[in-house]
Amino acid sequence: MQFTTTREALLKPLQLVTGVVERRQTLPILSNLLVEVSDSGISLTGTDLEVELVAHVNEGIDVGSSGKATIPARKLFDIWRSLPDGAEVNIKCEGDRAIVRSGRSRFSLATLPAGEFPGVDATAGDVELSITAADLRRLIEQTSFAMAHQDVRYFLNGMLLEISPGFVRTVATDGHRLAMCTLKNLSEGTGMQAILPRKGVLELSKVISEDDGDIALAISKNHICIRHSEYTLTSKLVDGKFPDYEKVIPRDAGEALCADRNELKSGFNRAAILSNEKYRGVRLILSENQLTIQANNPEQEEAEETLVVEYVGPEVEIGFNVGYLQDVLSVLAAETVKISVSDANSSVLIEAAGAEDSVFVVMPMRL
Amino acid sequence: MNAGHSLPLLRLKETVCNQYDPYILIDQFTKIVHCDCDSFFASVEIRDNPALQGSPVAIGGSPNQRGVVATCNYEARKYGIHSAMPMHQAVKRCPNLHIIKPDIAKYRRVSRQINKIYQEYTKLIEPLSLDEAFLDVTLSQRCQGSATMIASEIRAEVSKNLGITISAGIAPNKFLAKIASDWNKPNGQFTITPGQVSQFIQKLPVHKIFGVGSVTAAKLHALGIKNCEDLQKWPLLELTNQFGRLGARLYELCRGIDNREVIPHRLRKSVSVETTYTNDLIQSRHCFIEVERLATQLFQRIEHAGVDQRVSQYWLKLRFSDFRTTTASEACSIINPAVFDKLLEKAMARSNQNIRLIGLGVKISDPLSTHQMPLFKD
Repeated sequence: MQFTTTREALLKPLQLVTGVVERRQTLPILSNLLVEVSDSGISLTGTDLEVELVAHVNEGIDVGSSGKATIPARKLFDIWRSLPDGAEVNIKCEGDRAIVRSGRSRFSLATLPAGEFPGVDATAGDVELSITAADLRRLIEQTSFAMAHQDVRYFLNGMLLEISPGFVRTVATDGHRLAMCTLKNLSEGTGMQAILPRKGVLELSKVISEDDGDIALAISKNHICIRHSEYTLTSKLVDGKFPDYEKVIPRDAGEALCADRNELKSGFNRAAILSNEKYRGVRLILSENQLTIQANNPEQEEAEETLVVEYVGPEVEIGFNVGYLQDVLSVLAAETVKISVSDANSSVLIEAAGAEDSVFVVMPMRL
Repeated sequence: MNAGHSLPLLRLKETVCNQYDPYILIDQFTKIVHCDCDSFFASVEIRDNPALQGSPVAIGGSPNQRGVVATCNYEARKYGIHSAMPMHQAVKRCPNLHIIKPDIAKYRRVSRQINKIYQEYTKLIEPLSLDEAFLDVTLSQRCQGSATMIASEIRAEVSKNLGITISAGIAPNKFLAKIASDWNKPNGQFTITPGQVSQFIQKLPVHKIFGVGSVTAAKLHALGIKNCEDLQKWPLLELTNQFGRLGARLYELCRGIDNREVIPHRLRKSVSVETTYTNDLIQSRHCFIEVERLATQLFQRIEHAGVDQRVSQYWLKLRFSDFRTTTASEACSIINPAVFDKLLEKAMARSNQNIRLIGLGVKISDPLSTHQMPLFKD
């Protein structure tokens, strides 16, 4: 196996594929990338047995001889990115070594037999869908921040993908807050739900972060396969039942407050500085056309922000983890946000005034 | 190339220390009484069966079932028997020892009756266990406000009405009161007035200090510190360097300072259950069944205590046949028995010894602290 290429041709594919490889491995071969060279180009595969990412590259590759081997992923990527811009690189496998040569540099890396590299045995998709990268990007960006991380309710450590006749929807929640994004007129298919694991979602968002074009999704019982230009991401699905999210979205939650998103966001950012570092609680006091944000910490330091907002309704005092509000205001791109509040013990609904494809629900904190 | 390591540029010792105000005064005002029932469980049993009077009595589990001595009376102590001693060892020392199985429900009833008597003197009572309590009598109107007289009245009342003797310590703080109650035990009392504190404390051996166990005591002895007088010669900085946070505490305690208040309603900080097995368990599927059984008990207790909304951490403790103990824990705020299976696997992986004891517990968060409400109610 031998090929010659440039640093730039493989930099991004190597970065993305290496991202899937876990730093700590039980199986030594999992810290390696599978490199396959054929006449048409090369493919790079990284896996952690849950998520597999394959990059196919055929431009800028000069194939010497075909073959395959597995090469330590992180070391190869670290070498690759520290090479000078525009460097020409040659990789050649000899016995159990991979020799990387570029200019006056030479590296000899230990390989493992390609035959032992584990593959994800994804079956054919039961449900298939074509979607633009921009749409999928929005579905993920709007919700992925609310996914749980290492929760014992393992089905929360991921993002729900729902394909229904007429719309595609993503939902994520950590049990304290929830984010939902719905894009209409994208599918005619039958209804189906799948939970993508947290890692699969994060890697996918990197893969589709820049390029546009169409993406093919194929979902089977246990796997989802996503094809986008030269990348194929296959992920196991989380086997579990996602909670009934419709039930926790307040449909007619009390009075609505409308405020300028940037003003609100910077108000929260400043108040957060003096909130309790562990619980991050802030108090919101709503009165006619005015919102006061208060925070204090165990050192008895205090912050108070007063904002002019649109609000007509009863006076309400309600506590929140300020991080949850900041998260929502970061993904909401609208100029004006609408927050519907009923009382200090009920969830609030946050939406963009105007673009209403996304809704966010945040549970209060008892302060 | 050999495996090597780079040499240190500087030898740094981590020292964390706050500047401390050496201006320390003994509280002239506060009056704390520490009441400690004399061999409580044994006294209750002997009271209910006067035939036992004068003979050695121990309360605890049976010697052939790995029982330990919970309490023993002073007759038994003459044989060198003490609480926490394995019962088979106690029987070896004193073959005619009367062993009585503990009846915790009964002791709890008696404890409640004693508490009622305390209540007539002050409402500021902090029970430490069934047989021990701190009473803050600073503002009590009884006995012209004399704490010493209050203590002797309480002791007389308890003895007359319940047939149990109590020892009491009277001092300006909890630390000294607890030491004082031990001074004239059994059935006695001892008062340390604010004016006597500095003299009293000097001759106090360091191992009597609350929080100084055998390890710290040995370390102190190695430094030539035998009593509080020796300890007082050490500056705060040195003590914190040697003992960390305990050092700062030692600095205060060796001067007879203790600012802890009497907290009447001690908040529940954890709920737990544990079992020591008659025969050690082999690490197997059976352990998971045992954990499940204990978890059921634990969750009943949690519910009974009404703290199921405030669970903040789960832990599982294993003691192996070689008496080594290990604890595995995980943060989790919902009721989920499956967590214990995970913890058991984790803990079992640390030893291949058989299992002598399994304990399960949860930490309870402070109800007054802020609390994030859940989105899903189930």
